[in-house]
Amino acid sequence: MEIQDIISSGLLELYAAGIASETETRQVEEWVALYPEVAAELKEIMIGIETYATANAVEPSASVKEIIFARINSSEIGRVIPIQPGGDNEFQQIGSYPYWKMVAAASVLFLIGSIALNVVTYNKFSNANQNLAVLRETVDSIQEKNIEMAADMNVVQSKYSMPVSLKGLEAAPDAAAKIFWMQNTGEVFIDPSNLPDAPAGKQYQLWAIVDGKPVNGGMILTSKKGDKYRIQKMKTFGKAEAFAVTLEPEKGNATPQGPMFVMGKI
Amino acid sequence: MEVIQKYNEDELVLLLQRQDQQAFSYLYDNYAPALNGVIFRLVEDKALSEDILQEAFVKIWNNFSSYDPAKGRLFTWMMNLTRNLTIDTLRSKGYKKQSKISGDENSVNNITDAGSGIDKFDAMGIRKQLGNLKPDQQKVIDLAYFGGFTQEEISKEIGIPLGTVKTRMRTAILELRKMLKYT
Repeated sequence: MEIQDIISSGLLELYAAGIASETETRQVEEWVALYPEVAAELKEIMIGIETYATANAVEPSASVKEIIFARINSSEIGRVIPIQPGGDNEFQQIGSYPYWKMVAAASVLFLIGSIALNVVTYNKFSNANQNLAVLRETVDSIQEKNIEMAADMNVVQSKYSMPVSLKGLEAAPDAAAKIFWMQNTGEVFIDPSNLPDAPAGKQYQLWAIVDGKPVNGGMILTSKKGDKYRIQKMKTFGKAEAFAVTLEPEKGNATPQGPMFVMGKI
Repeated sequence: MEVIQKYNEDELVLLLQRQDQQAFSYLYDNYAPALNGVIFRLVEDKALSEDILQEAFVKIWNNFSSYDPAKGRLFTWMMNLTRNLTIDTLRSKGYKKQSKISGDENSVNNITDAGSGIDKFDAMGIRKQLGNLKPDQQKVIDLAYFGGFTQEEISKEIGIPLGTVKTRMRTAILELRKMLKYT
């Protein structure tokens, strides 16, 4: 069959209408694949029909499109569900068997985590406790020192305190001490920080010279576990001409026996 | 045709094969009125026509994989699918297609007038031009392309021998194409 005969046969028009017989349809498809002219002619026929149909178009209501899209979208979902094929058992396995397994695994993990956390927390707690104790000691000692220093400062700064410098004598020329004598109360304070440490078994003793005679002013503490005593309160004197410090046995003497270290006149 | 071509047919087909809804939206916008026109001339009922149109587009979406571009244009495939769906619907509702596209002379004009629901296509005078087709030519086109009549049915309907149905269709379509070229 010549190409021109095919084209003019009317079979292509029949085929485009979808009313050709099965044999005719196969025949046309074969020709279309073989001859570009036939394919082009078929295309022209179809465009003709298409234009004819467009010319006779009837605009549908706007809602139709919405309904169609709603339907294809819901059928999309509908299609996905049966795609999990024979998956009932499989799904249940996924759903139920690993569930307790996961719970058990989660519990074990939680327990391990909990223990680890406890250990860590306990260690932290112990460390914190130790640190706290150290801090408390430090704070206590600082506070203690503060109180002492505040007391010292009170003595030094008091408007009634009269300072008396005790100078070093032959026994210890570099030694020195200070007396703060309260003019209102007669209280006597001594700052012994510049006295050399008293040898073992010995102790410094303060004397007030009253009417030319030495009167016991009390024992002076110079060291306490390596820490020097600062200003300390002695006996109270209403009047005195001078103050002096001698080195005496630990309990002291009624009258000065040992060497005199420092002395200061008022 | 005032269709703004956003996709060419190859692109459109490729996108629809990938279930692209945007392409489907474009497809609907461009072809739904023409397909609705095809349905309407068979059912002559606006609501029923739109119900069938809806079914047709859902079917087009779901069965798009069965469209083979090598065998013809997209619209031809959609039109034949839509027409066959319409005929099936009418049959299931107890209609006879003869009752819609009958052989008498007046029906030819009725068929053309069925599309008068929209006048915007009149602008180019296409329908006026188509009105100049010989009644027999127009009838054979309507019966074959829009009515889904078999060759035997056409031969009976128009009263021509079965062997001349093809040639009658050929001349009718040629005439149609000639007219469309001049519009």
